[in-house]
This record gives sequence, C-alpha cells and structure tokens, in this order.
Amino acid sequence: MSEKQEKMRQCAEKLLRDGEAGYVIGWGETRFDDRTTPIFVEDPAGAGAFVWNEYAINSLAKYLLDDKYPDKKIGLFTRGCESRAINRLLKDNQIKRENVYLIGVPCDGKKSDRCTLCRERNPILYDVLLWTPEDDPPPAAGRFDRVKDIEAMSPDERYVYWGETYDSCIRCYACRNVCPACNCRECYADMSKTGFQGKQHSRSDNQIFGVTRAFHVGDRCIECGECERVCPMNLPIMGQTQKILKDINELTGEYECGMDATSENYLGRFDLDDKDEFM
Amino acid sequence: MPVEKSFEPAIVAFCCNWCTYTGADLAGLNRMKYPENVHVIRVPCSGRVNPQFILRAFQKGCDGVMVCGCHPGDCHYSTGNYFTRRRFMIMKRLLEYNGIDPERFHARWISGSEAAKFRDTAAEVSEHVKKLGPNVKYREEFRITESAEAGT
Amino acid sequence: MSRIGVFVCHCGTNIASVVDPDKLIAAARELPGVAYAADYKYMCSEPGQQMIKDSISEHGLDRIVIASCSPRMHETTFRKMLKNTGINPYMLEIANIREQCSWVHVDKDRASEKAVNLMRMAVSKISKNEPLYAQTIPITKKALVIGGGIAGIQAALDIADAGHEVVLLERESSVGGKMAMLDKTFPTLDCSACISTPKMVDVGAHPNITLMTSCEVESVSGYIGNFEVGIKQKARYVNHDICTGCGLCETKCPVKVESEFNLGLSTRPAIYKLFPQAVPSKPIIDKENCRLLKGGKCGICAKLCPLGCVNYEDEDRTITDNFGAIVIATGYQLVDWPSMYGEYGGGRYKDILSGLQFERTVNAAGPTEGHIVRPSDGKEPETVVIVKCVGSRDPNKGKSYCSRACCMYAAKHAHQILEKLPGTRVFIFYIDVRTPGKGYEEFYDQTRMDGAVYVRGRVSKIYEEEGQLVCRGEDSLLGEQVSVKADMVILETAMEPSPGIAELTSLLGAARDVNNWVQEAHPKLRPAETQVGGVFLAGTCQGPKDIPDTVAQASAAAAKVIGLLNKSEMETSPMISAVERDKCSGCGVCVGICPYKAVTLLEIDDRHGAKRIKREVANVNSGLCQGCGACTSACRTGALDLLGFRNKQILEEVDALCL
Repeated sequence: MSEKQEKMRQCAEKLLRDGEAGYVIGWGETRFDDRTTPIFVEDPAGAGAFVWNEYAINSLAKYLLDDKYPDKKIGLFTRGCESRAINRLLKDNQIKRENVYLIGVPCDGKKSDRCTLCRERNPILYDVLLWTPEDDPPPAAGRFDRVKDIEAMSPDERYVYWGETYDSCIRCYACRNVCPACNCRECYADMSKTGFQGKQHSRSDNQIFGVTRAFHVGDRCIECGECERVCPMNLPIMGQTQKILKDINELTGEYECGMDATSENYLGRFDLDDKDEFM
Repeated sequence: MPVEKSFEPAIVAFCCNWCTYTGADLAGLNRMKYPENVHVIRVPCSGRVNPQFILRAFQKGCDGVMVCGCHPGDCHYSTGNYFTRRRFMIMKRLLEYNGIDPERFHARWISGSEAAKFRDTAAEVSEHVKKLGPNVKYREEFRITESAEAGT
Repeated sequence: MSRIGVFVCHCGTNIASVVDPDKLIAAARELPGVAYAADYKYMCSEPGQQMIKDSISEHGLDRIVIASCSPRMHETTFRKMLKNTGINPYMLEIANIREQCSWVHVDKDRASEKAVNLMRMAVSKISKNEPLYAQTIPITKKALVIGGGIAGIQAALDIADAGHEVVLLERESSVGGKMAMLDKTFPTLDCSACISTPKMVDVGAHPNITLMTSCEVESVSGYIGNFEVGIKQKARYVNHDICTGCGLCETKCPVKVESEFNLGLSTRPAIYKLFPQAVPSKPIIDKENCRLLKGGKCGICAKLCPLGCVNYEDEDRTITDNFGAIVIATGYQLVDWPSMYGEYGGGRYKDILSGLQFERTVNAAGPTEGHIVRPSDGKEPETVVIVKCVGSRDPNKGKSYCSRACCMYAAKHAHQILEKLPGTRVFIFYIDVRTPGKGYEEFYDQTRMDGAVYVRGRVSKIYEEEGQLVCRGEDSLLGEQVSVKADMVILETAMEPSPGIAELTSLLGAARDVNNWVQEAHPKLRPAETQVGGVFLAGTCQGPKDIPDTVAQASAAAAKVIGLLNKSEMETSPMISAVERDKCSGCGVCVGICPYKAVTLLEIDDRHGAKRIKREVANVNSGLCQGCGACTSACRTGALDLLGFRNKQILEEVDALCL
C-alpha cells in the first residue's frame, strides 16, 4: 500500500512542480483512522498529504464540475469509477478532456458497499498509469438482484416499499450532488416555478423526486453507487436507476454507461425496430 | 379499498395534434360514444409529453393517464414518436416498479383515421380505472384525506 | 391579473343540445382571471366574431377562451379575428366541447360537467399564455435542383421559366439520366431521345439555369429560404470554358473500358462524353482509367486538342452557394440482380440482360445500332423470355414493393422484339399485370395480340444448355411446371434509390422510408415535399414511377418552389422551442433528438464567478424548428421549452382537470 501511496505522492508533486497541473485532487487523512477526505493540493510540498488506503472511498470526478473553466489542468487520481464518471462528464459536454490530467490508479477495492458493485477497477482512460492494472473483480453475479426482488412484489407491496423508503427521505439532495450524471447547471428540483416538483416534505413529493431523478439519470447511470453511499438516511435509491438499466439491458441487450465518451444515451436515440408495446 | 358506485375517474389523455387528436375529432364527427371522464390535452407531438407530466397528473388526482400519438413511421415530425416509444417503455416500467397499477397508465398509437380505436381505448381505460377505484398512489396527501372523507 | 374572456358557442344545437351553455357561463364567471363570459349561437359567424371584438374593447379583455368546435376547425379563424382587434393572436385557447364532448356524449349533466372541465383547463392554460410573434425570414431567390434526369430537368425548366435562378446539379458529366438511355417510351412508342434531348438542350441554354455537371453536394446548412450548400466540382481535366466538343481527343485515346452508359455492352475511351448527345457536349477524363493520370506515359489527348483544353493538373474544387429552395431529383438505379438471384446464373450468362441493357440494345444509338442480337454470339434470338418482378414483390430476396413501371416496359420490350424480329417467340413470366395509366391497358392488350405469350408464374431457375438458356418455372394458371428454351432472357428488375441517397438525405435532414426512398411530407396531400421546409422532391427518388408521373411530380415540386421563391420573405410559426440559456448546461441531448437539425450547440460568452468564459448552450434555429417539442421533453432542466405549449401551460391544464 505505502509503495503505491509513495508513487502517487511523487507523481502529484512532479505535476505540481512542473506546473503541469494547477492542483491535484486525491484523498487525504482525517482524524479518524477509518476515514479519508477528498483533498485539493496546489503546493508541490503538500503532495505528501495524499493517502491510498482501503478507506479512499469517495469518487472524486464530480469535483471537476466545481471548476469547469480552470486556468491550468486539474490533476485527478482516477480509478475505474472516476474514469467512468469522467466519460459521463465528457459525453455530457461538461468538462474538456484537455483540462484534466488523469493519474491512473488501478483500484484493489475499498471498504465500501459501493465497491461490491464494482465491475471496473482499472481506469478506462488516463494520462499516466501508476502501477499495473488489477484483476477485475469477479463478474458481479446479480447486478440486478435487488431489482428482481422488488419486481417480484405486488404493485401495492412495491408502492409500500418505495413509499416507506421515501417517507424517510429528507430531500437533502446529497444523492444528486454527488452523482456525475446530475450535471445540470440548475436542478429542476431546485426550481420553484416549474411545477414539476413540489417542495413539501410529503410522501408524494418525495416519491416524485425519487422517480424523476431516476428517470433523469437512469439511462446515463454509471453505477458508481455514490448516491447510496452519501445518503444520510441510507435509502436504497440505486434500486431505481438500476431498474432502468435492467430494463434497457432487457430491451436492447448489453448496456453500460461511461465506458466511452461518445456512445449516445439510450433515451437520446432510437431504433426503427425498437420493441413496441403500445400498438 | 371500497369502491363507491358513483366513482367517476378523472382520466387525462395527452394526444398529439396530428394523429390522435384528429382521431378523437373524427370520433366526434362520427358521433361515436365513449365515457365522459376522458379529457384530452392537445400537444403538438407525443414527443412533447414530458414523463413528468404523468407524475404531476397522478399527484394532482388523475386516476388514469394516456399518452397517444401517431403510429411509429407516421409521425408528422418524422421521428418524434420513436423517442416517445423509448421514453415511455422505460417510464411505464418505472411507474409500475414504483407501485402504480399497470392499468392506470397507457400509451397507444392512434392515427387520425382510427376514430374507433380512440373510442375503444378511451372506453377500455375508463373501465379499467373505474374498477381500480380512485388512485391514491403518488397523490398529494391532503387530497387523499379529502377523498377518504368523501368516501365515508 | 389577466382579464380573460370566455365565449361559449352553441354551434346551433350541435353543442347546446347536449351541453348546457348556462352551466359553462356560470362556472366561467367563478374562475379567477375571468373578466367576462358570454355565449352565442354561432361564435364563428360574423356577428359572433363581432360580439367577441366588442366584448374585448368593452371589458378590456387581454386573452380569449372559446368553448366551441375543435381548434383544428377554427383556431386560424379566431386568430385572424384577434389580430384585427390588436390582441396577440396567440392569446387564444379553444376548449373543444363539440368533437370531444357534445358529439361523443349522451348524458347531458355529465357532458356539461366535462365541458366545464375542458373550459376550465383552457382558462388555466391561457393564464400562462404569452404573446408570440412570428419572425420573418428573407428568401434567397435561387433554387438548387439535385439530379439532372428528366425529373430534375423538368423542375429546373419550370422554375427557370417562372423567372427564378436555378442551379441544376448532376453527378455524371451530362444531364439526361435514365431517360436518355431508353429507346422508346410506352405506350405511345415515341422515341425517348427525341423528347428528352430537346429538354436537355434547353437546360443547357436557358439563361436562368446554371448547369453543374460532375458535381455532388458536399455540405448543407441553413434552412428554408436560406440554405448554404457546399458543392464539390469533381476534376474534369478538360477546360470546358474553351472546349468546343469537337471530339478529336476521344478518337485516339488508347484506353478502352466498359461504357457505363451502355451498361457494359460496349467500350469507351478514358477521355469521353457520356453519350453522343451529352449536355454539355464536352468530354471529361476518367481519372481511374487514364494512363497518364494513373502514372503511366501518354498525354495523347493533350497533344491532339487544338485548343489546349486538356489539363492533367485539374483538381476537385468546392463551391459554396446560397439557395432558397432545394429539389431532390436523384432518381433510381436498378437492383443488382446477379447478387440477389443465384438461380438466374448470378450474372454468368451473357445472354441474360437487364431491362435497361435491352433498352441500350434496341436503341438505334446503342452498341448494336438497334439490332436485337445476343451479346454472346451476335445472332438474332428466335425465342426470348421476359421475366417480370425480378427483385420486386419479392420480400425474401429483393424488395417487397411493386416497381410499377416494369409491367409496361416488359410489354413494350415484347412489342419491340415482335416488331423488329417478326416470328420471334416471346414469353413473359409475370405475377400480375398492372397497367393503371392512360392507354396502358390497351397497349398491353395489343402486345398480346401481337403474339407475346404471358405465362403466370415466377421463373425459378435459368441455366445454360447447348448454347440456350433454359427457363424453368411454374405456370400457376395451369398448375404445371413449364420450361422454355430461350436464346435471350430479359429481366425486368426493380428500381431502388440511387446510391448516395442516404448521405444526401442526412445532409438535408430529410427522412427516408423503410426502402430508402425519400419520404414525402404527406403521402396524399404533400407528395412533392419532404418534411424539411424548403426541400422538395421530384421523380423516382421518392418511389418507383414512370415518366409521366415523374414529370408531373417534377412540375408539382417546381410549382411549390416558385410559390416559395415568389415571396421576398416568409413568416415562420412562433410556436417553436426556445432556450433559457441560464439554465442550459449544454449537455446536447436535444441536438440528437431534433429531426430538423434545428438545435445546435452555440458557444457564448459568459461569466463563471469573476472569470470571463466561453460555454456552449443549445440554440434553436427558428427557420428550421417545426415546433414538435421533442427536445423539450428530453431537457432535464427545462431549459428548452415549447412556446405555446410551455411546460407550465400543460401543467396548468393537468392541475385544472383535477381541481
């Protein structure tokens, strides 16, 4: 671990010293042994603050949206999940590839539930790769297991399941803030006059937020699992987006987002011979 | 849920101007009869129907929602309904996954000449929704209380 | 607060016999924003309209709801009326209480209740209406006709005769198209060249027509009235400005390649005119086959040319021009039957000709000077088999559609054989004989009288035996297998769109149908237009047809173009998509969804904190947008909204229904 950490620090230091990057985003220590926090290092001398351990959990790519027009490149430690998020942002025309310097760090799996879903530990795109790629985790049998469980319920049971889930939602929008597919300048949920989203803390408004969010990101979800990780109420909200992904997989075959920066999203295109149930 | 005999559902049908709205007009011209509870909202193309309109309709108290447009290949705007098809294939499944009864949401292709199909679809949806009773799922809470009171 | 006027029409008794207007009026008066409500027997009538106008001035109304028949009926009427009162014509909503209420319901109470709902929905929607203003766009008074076959020629001549400039663009080195290859035309048997070459000469000489041969469309941008088209002028290697077309160069060229015009039945040199009557009557060099251009030693043509026209250094050039209207007239080609029908020898047998090859054979200007002889040995055939529907009406191997002209030219071919070689036996294998057209059935009858034998059935196999072609098939009327030993076989093959149609239509944004034909805007009512404003179509690019239909459609397209170009500017519908740039993040999902290429990403100057930046936002071209709204439903933030059908307007309707 420490050898890799050393490589990361050296790489960041060199980037900053050579002026290749304005700052580098990575993970740093906290007061707690089992936590890290995202840190932004500008000073080459500060590169020693980067850590690489099993608690480097946060996906860092979304931070790029906070600085969409940087003067210098932004250095970013990039694992499989970050790279897919970057593809998402590139496809959505949110960042420019030349504005980021991607330091590839193949991941060995971190201590987070979201990592159990991971199918892509190695960065798909990077400018430099710091060490040899890791073996990808065993194919996540049951990618859609929990969706199937919910599908097996009756409509009323499903309503109760999601109703109770969203009864706990505090509408903090953390799921949205962390999601790389949620990259609108202004979220529909923050607008007051559109009429699309009521502001009440009620089951109805909460559920409508849940379904709408799922629909907005469903065909673009990279399955990083960050939404669930950050949910302060521990709501199983990825069950919504995964439902959409499962349906798309069933309707048109293998579908996975963020594997490249060019493929058109499912809802942004059509096939003349798409399945038709509406005759 | 006890269903009152007098329950008249509120059903909204989003219809594209060029096919289904014309078909509905033709049904009128031919004096076909269908239940009064189907209300058409005219949109230029079924592609204009934002899935969020459907959520809003259920929230505000619609008991059934229809989205209707030209048959694939016949879209006045050439490709609008192909996007509709994809959008609502996903949306319908998502709604059902969230507990909405399948019979409460329908998407149909009805051409300008298919007045009978419009009539039949309206009657069919109306009948199904009537059987299901008032929709409470996704409905604003004060409305649920209201209708519960009305039921007692 | 808006001041809404609600007007309820009785439509005689059409509405009032089922829906109670008093109930509507009473309900309307309770609604917020409604300043006035009244009813009348016929709102659309002169006194009805006058009543609305009077109420507007009397009560200071600023928006109008009319509960009446379908908006498809009288929306335009009432908009015009509003325009005369000074209220913006888009401050109007119509509640359809006739077609969608009084005519379809019986129970008066319930129907009245529904009518109230519909009226309330319209009142709610109109509270969010805003004035909309049509934009005017200037029109470039110049048309581009793509394709120099008979369709393109006819369209170009009609437009030019009306006084407008036309550029007629042709991919080959001469105009003329397929019609120039034909011998005689059915059913009148007048010589195809005799009627088409004068027209070719006319387009070449017309003062309003610029002929651009050896040219292809490379790029298209803009919209109705304002297209900018990039045209690739392919290198000709001959300076057409000074060439007199003397033809000396062609005589000594050492290269011999298969003639495209004669469909491989003869050869031509590398410097060549497409055919003797070519317009322009000037040669080009085929760079694929020219010895010198291929790197070898030659240069004979340059030495021979008395005017020094030959220029081996010539290069492709791109010319950009502006047009107000575009006509697609790219025509057809015949399906490649050898790749589809292995059972007919797959192209192995020399004496199997396609219909078009036979046209060249029987043509006096063709490779055999009109003598019908077998390509294999030059002998006159004693038995000829004509097979119809090769590649058409055959969903398994070819196209499912009927190619439409083949029945007639099959009859014509039979007639020509029987006329030129009396005593020849002619068998025509057919599925059906379709002769809808003036004089067509009579012509077919005459052919049978002349001695052509019609056999109902498909030919299942053709093979060679002792120098003859054995055609085996079923006579479905006899219910028996038949086989004919023929000296020559003519396959009447299906038409399919010209190569490159997919690229061209995608440049133009025009749609194609399942068979790749260009899609007309409406199959019945707008047969000469595409769904893209300002782009029209003529001839077989839209589907198989014969010459009269092609010419008729070309003139129809020309009439449409003339109608457009006669205006100096045109109004566009204001009910189109609009972008709120502040909200737009430039994700571009709308760009791919728009069928008209009306939405593009535009770089704008903006600020990000204190920093001046450039960022991309969606931009709607009001000339291209047709107002379908498909982009708005894909826009997650709602930065795109459809004027006249805004999100908030539709949501108001939904809410009002549920009140």
